[in-house]
Amino acid sequence: MPTTGYANGMDRDEVMRVLREFEAAGLEYVLIGAAAMAFHGVIRATADLDVFIRATPENVERLRIALRAAFQGDPSIEAISSAELLGEYPAVRYGPPTGTLYLDVLTRLGEVASFETVDAEIKEVEGTSVRVATPAALYRLKKGTVRLQDRADAAALRERFNLKDED
Amino acid sequence: MSVQKFRSIEEMNKAPEPHSQVPPFERFLRLCAQYSAIAPNRYPRGVFKFRTIEEAQKAREKYTPLK
Repeated sequence: MPTTGYANGMDRDEVMRVLREFEAAGLEYVLIGAAAMAFHGVIRATADLDVFIRATPENVERLRIALRAAFQGDPSIEAISSAELLGEYPAVRYGPPTGTLYLDVLTRLGEVASFETVDAEIKEVEGTSVRVATPAALYRLKKGTVRLQDRADAAALRERFNLKDED
Repeated sequence: MSVQKFRSIEEMNKAPEPHSQVPPFERFLRLCAQYSAIAPNRYPRGVFKFRTIEEAQKAREKYTPLK
């Protein structure tokens, strides 16, 4: 696919490559968002992969290693800084130089959610282990937000898994 | 695939999806590829940093057709 100035949606091979490199690098992460919902059978389209990572300098370096491997050493990856992710900028969005994926990386969500607080389970896809937020954890992340899509996701998760407000 | 009938949208939403040989994550990837072909977002390439998730969502909504 030709390189343009824009990322424009999810590409299957890129998603799989990123998940494989996350595992190879030993990245401590949990997949959230629409991709995580899909592992539980709740399927909707999205343009990105959302992940929480454990907020340590060593783990941010693992993230950089994984992304360098997945995207042929893209120099813009060096702008991902542990000082910033662990400090003032807990959310980083990365649009790779080729292909169609973009990636949202979070170290915390407000004061309440982080890698440590999101319950997760391991799923397998094409021989790769993926750490995925549980349906109840996804519901907790989404139910209190103002974004309409998140509220719709929360409603879908609640119905599918018979979740209660206290879940 | 057989035909399923429902008395309401609520009843339909609660029904399990028809059985598919394709695993859910694979169906998700195919759906995303289809959507991307129909309505590509135009988020710039590179690394972007946000102080809050609200900031990140606002930036995303500026570029993506998926709200």
